[in-house]
Amino acid sequence: MARLIDPSLQKLSFIMAEMGDMVTESISLAIDSYLDGTNTMDKVLALSDSIRSKYYEVEDLTFDMLLKYQPVADDFRFIRSSTEISYAFSRFGRYAYDITQVRDLFGDVSECTNASLIESTKKVKHMIKEAVMSFAELDVRKAIKIREDEKVIDRIYKERLPKLIESNNTKCALAEALLLRYLERIGDHAVFMSDAINYIVTGKHRPSEARIASHTKQD
Amino acid sequence: MTTTIERRQEYRNLFKNNVEKRLMVDKTVRIIVFACVIIAIIPLGSILVEVFKNGIAAISYEFLTETPGAIGSGEGGIGPAIQGTLIIIGLSSLIGVPIGVMSGIYLSEYGDNKLARSIRFFNDVFMEFPSIVLGIFAFLVIVLILGHFSVWAGAFALSLIMFPIVARTTEESLKMVPMTYREAGTALGLKKWVITFRIVISAAKNGMITGILLSVSRIGGETAPLIMTILGSSQFFSSMDVPMDALPLRIWRLSLLPYDSAQLQGWGSALVLIMIILAINLGVRYFFANRSKKRGLLAQLIKKGMHTKN
Amino acid sequence: METQISSDPPSTIDSEKYKMIAENVTISYDGIEAVKDITMKFKEKSVTALIGPSGCGKTTFLRCLNRMHDMTKNAKVDGKVMIDDIDLYDKSVDPIYHRRKVGMVFQKPNPFPTMSIYDNVTAGLKLNGVRDKKILNEIVEDSLKMAYLWDEVKNDLKKSAIELSGGQQQRLCIARALAIQPEVLLMDEPASALDPIATQKIEETITELKKEYTIIIVTHNMQQAVRVSDYTGFMYLGDLIEFRETKKLFTDPKNDLTAKYVQGQFG
Repeated sequence: MARLIDPSLQKLSFIMAEMGDMVTESISLAIDSYLDGTNTMDKVLALSDSIRSKYYEVEDLTFDMLLKYQPVADDFRFIRSSTEISYAFSRFGRYAYDITQVRDLFGDVSECTNASLIESTKKVKHMIKEAVMSFAELDVRKAIKIREDEKVIDRIYKERLPKLIESNNTKCALAEALLLRYLERIGDHAVFMSDAINYIVTGKHRPSEARIASHTKQD
Repeated sequence: MTTTIERRQEYRNLFKNNVEKRLMVDKTVRIIVFACVIIAIIPLGSILVEVFKNGIAAISYEFLTETPGAIGSGEGGIGPAIQGTLIIIGLSSLIGVPIGVMSGIYLSEYGDNKLARSIRFFNDVFMEFPSIVLGIFAFLVIVLILGHFSVWAGAFALSLIMFPIVARTTEESLKMVPMTYREAGTALGLKKWVITFRIVISAAKNGMITGILLSVSRIGGETAPLIMTILGSSQFFSSMDVPMDALPLRIWRLSLLPYDSAQLQGWGSALVLIMIILAINLGVRYFFANRSKKRGLLAQLIKKGMHTKN
Repeated sequence: METQISSDPPSTIDSEKYKMIAENVTISYDGIEAVKDITMKFKEKSVTALIGPSGCGKTTFLRCLNRMHDMTKNAKVDGKVMIDDIDLYDKSVDPIYHRRKVGMVFQKPNPFPTMSIYDNVTAGLKLNGVRDKKILNEIVEDSLKMAYLWDEVKNDLKKSAIELSGGQQQRLCIARALAIQPEVLLMDEPASALDPIATQKIEETITELKKEYTIIIVTHNMQQAVRVSDYTGFMYLGDLIEFRETKKLFTDPKNDLTAKYVQGQFG
């Protein structure tokens, strides 16, 4: 017989799945808009707003379940992680919008595209897809891949920034700097998300927190 | 849900159909039960009324204190009988109650074995013995051996009647005390006898007293055993080894005489006996009821008579 | 059913003293095992909750910790129950003496019905021969204070115990158990017969008491176990399935059966 909490849990999973799809779409659109010059700002804004309102829905649902059912064990960890993950989703939506804003403000910057940009944007798209799948399947093995991708994005970010200072083309330099910044933040949140998924499955809490915190400190 | 709304309505209608008849049956049963109660009470009530009516005329100070006069003279009183009844009740209780209570305690608290089961069985059988048989027994065992009628024999006979009743009611009262109080006592590290005597009996007090009073009332009116043991006499109590008078005996003797005055005295004696039993009952309950001052005394006296579970 | 006992190895529990240790306890009624070879260690000044579906043996196990089964016919207890290194079940030990080291509070409040509040609290003392009025008064005040009942009854200690409300009666039973100065307190679903406010008071009392006593509580209310206990043991059909720190057991149970039970998937 179904428990009282089961319909709420199913609803939670459903909303999260919707958010995941929207996140994947919005980030793809945003990155493509930057790389090939299309202006997708309105579309991505709409998606980002949707994601944000779903985030509030998840919050309400979570606290409702806590109030009514006092969940424990697997249920508890799933609900707890869902708040963290839906926050990550809302951040992804926001950064996607920020990226399309760069294209909107700066105009067509497709000529600024270079190899490292292509590499990092590819990695980010891949990361997001993996993260959303990892949550859908509660598969912690993907976490390793996500952490590797994040390291690459970090490395590119650290390498490129100093070079951009030397650049002659101000427009490209600034656009690239902003983009790299957003990509790096997306990477961090993807890792937090994989931690949250890890918590659901293994019960271990925040393994990457220290590492992320340390590398965002100023050296 | 496979039951439709219409079907549910049909089910409801089923109940409606029977209502008239069931109310009627209910009423009828109630009337019958009430009628039975009335039928039962009427004889009892009328006995009381008769005794009172006929006996009140005989009551006087002289009647209550003097020895019987010449047969048929209408003089004298039933002083020795009253005294004898009180003595015999007292003595029998002194013997029967402690033995009965101890047996009851044994059966209830320590009696989860074969021996206890046999004792319980024989106890119940014993309770059903005709009192005349017990009287004959006392006659054979004490009167014949010692060679004379005596108060000892009478007390012995009556205590035999008393103690099975006391044992049974004590056991039942103790059994009604919930196990959890004994467990609480055990958890406090108390020894078994302490738990039994200080906690369990304290909680079973009311039931036990009822049982004891029941047995006292029973023996107060026993005649046959007394005929064969204390025989009766016209003198006040002198010693334990000689016959003694008692109200049931006196009533019996008086009622057999053909004189009106004797009959009157007989009714008077009956009235006195009933009054004594009533007084003992009320007195004991009053003593134990006096503890809490909350409700009305009468309500308490009546309440204590029921087997109340605390 | 072969089950692995999931518990943290002793070295990860810090080295505070164990007040009570139950070793290889097996309890059987008429030859049928109700509790199967259970070993549990109870840390000093902690609260341990025992949870599990009805009939899993948790109450049976609890009662063997103060030798209550001596009162039950056909009950056989094997194994050791050690308090401070003395085995309660050792032949040379007087059970009555050691029952005073382990107090017990029962599911349904059972203050002695014919005694006053004062007499109830002192029952374990007076009936064991303690007579000194001054000491008795001190202990009564101390015990009632610890049970959070003093303020409510201090003006009328001679009142009959059964005139108190259910929650007050239960706290009176706690005071009565504490009066004999035990070191371990066993509680068998102490709040299950009480309303929510009274339950809350009992839980507050337990939380205060654990500063001085080692408490073991059987409860069917899992949220109560989470609120009140430091360690939790989950029992099923007479076996100890999992025994861990409460928070860990409820957020990340290692055993599947435990996870199913605490999430309400059976029992």
